[in-house]
Amino acid sequence: MSAAEKMSRRDEMETLLPFYLNGSLEGAELEAVEEWLASDPAALAALGEAEAEFSGTAAANEAIRPPADALSRFTKALDAEAGPARAPAGQSWLAKALSRLTAMPAGVAWAAAAALLALVLVQSFERPGGKGSDFEVAGAEDDLAKLPFALVKFKPDAKMSDIAAFLGQNGLKIASGPTADGVFHLTIPAKSAADYDKTVGLIAAQPFADTVIQGRKPVDGG
Amino acid sequence: MTAATETDRALVDRVAKGDRAAVRLLFMRHHARVYRFVARQTGSEMMADDIANEVFLELWKQAPGFEGRSEVSTWLLGIARFKALSSLRKKKEEWIDDDDAAEIADGADTPEVITMKEDKAAALRRMINALPEEHRVVIDLAYYHGQSVTEIGEVLDIPVATVKTRMFYARKKLGEALKAAGYDRGWP
Repeated sequence: MSAAEKMSRRDEMETLLPFYLNGSLEGAELEAVEEWLASDPAALAALGEAEAEFSGTAAANEAIRPPADALSRFTKALDAEAGPARAPAGQSWLAKALSRLTAMPAGVAWAAAAALLALVLVQSFERPGGKGSDFEVAGAEDDLAKLPFALVKFKPDAKMSDIAAFLGQNGLKIASGPTADGVFHLTIPAKSAADYDKTVGLIAAQPFADTVIQGRKPVDGG
Repeated sequence: MTAATETDRALVDRVAKGDRAAVRLLFMRHHARVYRFVARQTGSEMMADDIANEVFLELWKQAPGFEGRSEVSTWLLGIARFKALSSLRKKKEEWIDDDDAAEIADGADTPEVITMKEDKAAALRRMINALPEEHRVVIDLAYYHGQSVTEIGEVLDIPVATVKTRMFYARKKLGEALKAAGYDRGWP
């Protein structure tokens, strides 16, 4: 008889709890755990302990931070593996996507915009600086390590069309984002610290701007 | 279908047709978890960086042969596991990051003294990190990667019963370690 077969019912249930918590348990095993949780006073305490393990494991994993430039290095490795990227065909996909977004309710549109902009970032590696609509996405020709930038979070009810128009009018580019917290990295086309302050102030004054954090600023006289 | 709703499998289909944007989207979705999985396996973020990149290049190459029998995330973790083990076999000396090594093997204080200095959550996290690799990996795969018993068996290439046995002993060891540190949880 294997070790697994020798387990007591309590041991079996304790073994299955991590899978109950991650939602992968099904069928007879799911029923058994649910019955145990409903009938045994000790089971809820056990569930609490498993939840603590769940949190501890997530924290231990998320303490490991992948390098910020992983995607750009992967892109180079992919190009080396697969050869140069093809020039894209029609350029209207972003404009179409943005116009669809503006027709959506604000909450839905914003969630979709986050995903769209993530895709834009990806596409930008094949289409450096390509103009898709009212604004540009920072591409390979932009030396992101040197450009002035700011970190910006937009309000959840912000209209995508307003943001796109504003970015386009002011020559602002999305370098990356959104992060899990909804923060975008915008490059600022400023030649001087005064220009930078003016542009950042302008962003902060927009009704759709929630938070603006100053990043790299031009050094005057440098 | 928008990028937001496009499934991993649909993206793999696009990758199989040579769509680089699709592989980059999959990279953005899964890279952090693959990276962390390998870093935990090897104890080296340098190796994790290289191997995680290789995993996605492998995805680019193998996408035409992906049959969809498992989730894409499970497939990627399986590739990552294989590459991590291969790399570890090549390097007889494991590369353990100094910080990780200090966390795992710091012998300046006894476990009891260390535990008195931290709360239960921190103690539990340290104990999870200190589990033997074969136990910690099933804890990671279940709690962090959301894998089922069957999927963990696929990633680690072990029978389902072995997955359960390892989970049983992993949780038992955590319970014993907590108990030894003064946090009695009633089981085992």
